[in-house]
Amino acid sequence: MTATHAFTTTEAAICYTARLIEDDRLYFVAIGGPPLLAILLARRLRGADIAYVVEDGTIAPRMPIPTPAFMIGAGLASSRAVAWTDMNTVDFHAGLGYIDCGVLAAVQVDEFGNFNSTFTGGCYDRPERRFGGPGGANEIASLCWRTVLLTRLERRKFVKKLDFSSSPGYLDGTPGARERAGLPPETGPWRVVTERAIFGFDEATRRMKLLAVAPWSSIDDVLGDMQFTPLIAERVESLPPPSEAELDALRADIDPMGRTIGGDWIHLAGDGDSLQRIVVEPAAGT
Amino acid sequence: MPDAAREPLRSIALLDEGDGAYRAPDPDGMRRFVRDEKDRRLVDKRMSEQDAVARFVHDGDYVSYDTNVWRRGPASLMREIIRQRRRSLWLAAKFSAHDATLLTAGGCVSDIDVGWMEVGRVINEAMQEGRVRLHEWTNGALAYRHLAGALGVSFLPLRYVGGTDVFRMSGAKLIEDPYTGQPICLVPAVNPDVALIHVNQCDMYGNARIFGPGLAPAETAMASRRVIVSTEEIIDPEEIRKHPGATTLPYYLVDAVVHAPFGGYPGTVPGLYRADLQHLMEFGAAQEQGTMDDYLDKWVFSVSSHTEMLERRVGLQKLHQLRAEETHTEGYYT
Repeated sequence: MTATHAFTTTEAAICYTARLIEDDRLYFVAIGGPPLLAILLARRLRGADIAYVVEDGTIAPRMPIPTPAFMIGAGLASSRAVAWTDMNTVDFHAGLGYIDCGVLAAVQVDEFGNFNSTFTGGCYDRPERRFGGPGGANEIASLCWRTVLLTRLERRKFVKKLDFSSSPGYLDGTPGARERAGLPPETGPWRVVTERAIFGFDEATRRMKLLAVAPWSSIDDVLGDMQFTPLIAERVESLPPPSEAELDALRADIDPMGRTIGGDWIHLAGDGDSLQRIVVEPAAGT
Repeated sequence: MPDAAREPLRSIALLDEGDGAYRAPDPDGMRRFVRDEKDRRLVDKRMSEQDAVARFVHDGDYVSYDTNVWRRGPASLMREIIRQRRRSLWLAAKFSAHDATLLTAGGCVSDIDVGWMEVGRVINEAMQEGRVRLHEWTNGALAYRHLAGALGVSFLPLRYVGGTDVFRMSGAKLIEDPYTGQPICLVPAVNPDVALIHVNQCDMYGNARIFGPGLAPAETAMASRRVIVSTEEIIDPEEIRKHPGATTLPYYLVDAVVHAPFGGYPGTVPGLYRADLQHLMEFGAAQEQGTMDDYLDKWVFSVSSHTEMLERRVGLQKLHQLRAEETHTEGYYT
């Protein structure tokens, strides 16, 4: 690692998520955005043909990289697939249990992994900030065996109470809560990935549990940016920052147009466990 | 072997229900409409976009479209709806794009069933002023409600929606599954008054072909009382009969066939032309700057038709460029 090292919060979350992607699984992702970029990054770094389905019915495409501009409206995003179906068909496949893991972005998340992508502030009819809506996240988070959520570590995002629960985590955390709401058993959120910490969920209580923290951060630093206090793993792992190889692949090969340059720039200095965060500043365009 | 000890089922427990607004499903009404109003003859259904919208889109209608204005959406039909100043439409925004924004800016919309849609100043202001009501669903639940509508039943069970505020604010119900005894969610069917579907090819009778992935074009067409198809290309009915496996919609579902080359503009029709990103940025800027009236005047009201918009506002050179730059065509027309 060089003496100084800089990446954005979004790039970090994409790189960490890519490390969690397994080669022989089937994933469900939205058409554009960080979750898809994480899968493309995992493919690029490992040369593996990691399969995913998209809500528009595209099954296992081999989207070329660099990714096309405006992916959501580009035919290239569906290219070299094994099948072009439709939304109900891929949701059937998820309902049957074929899809191992959904990878999703969240606006707000609570301690049981329920999340919001609808609005913040105000009320439903008069929101302070309205977002696109649950989209396909509700069905993906309900039907896939596991769900990985990407978000930023901020107090307004890790909340005690969601402004709106768009998609299910472990609901109120009681045993069988998802089943009582009509969701398939043995499903639920598995990891929540941020730029400086990764969380899992406790099997008994279903509460969020801190698993890994970046060496340039600390447990206190992480907890200070959350409204609720998560469980802490007995041994909290050190979360290596995005490597040169990961950032090079993301920036040069996958996203040279820089759509992952979102959030804040984090500048690091030093080496290994002595890494220090020296500056955090907003990235352009955010 | 039958389970002799089993108690006869006398009732199914309703465990919970949302309190959202939705139109009561009416499968028998749909069947009667189909019996009395839908033409089963092979007749020429080609007509202008003006006639199609005038005849089949009415104030207060529930309108469903497929896919969206960024990709193979019925953009030219949406502009005609704005031009004819339809009011109080209820939209099914299942993986919508800026479609709802466009129609809301045109003053056409009162209600939106939301799966996902582009949200900016137009929707925000319309909500704050109480001009538009949103109803939270999910993309999948909306596609699935169209499937129920297409099956001619009043509801379908599904294993999501439950446990969230989406459930609370929707027309979903949670019941005890009479077969497994486990809780399961039900969602009501939707039978839109009119569907708008942009296709790659269609004959004059309405036999239509869609190439590429879609949201729920077949379910949407089957579920809807009226179906307007806009098509990039009108093809010979004999061509349809040579490749019956390529037909997405059979003729009897379809009420109007509108020939609309570049009907998806400014979005892409994959394999044919790419999206006009410059136009999408112009749309975004107009929304951001509060100049949507100017945008609508330029692209909708100051031109009398889709053809005139293409000729006077987009221009042949741009159209050629959009076609030439859609270089990835594999899988669509081959």
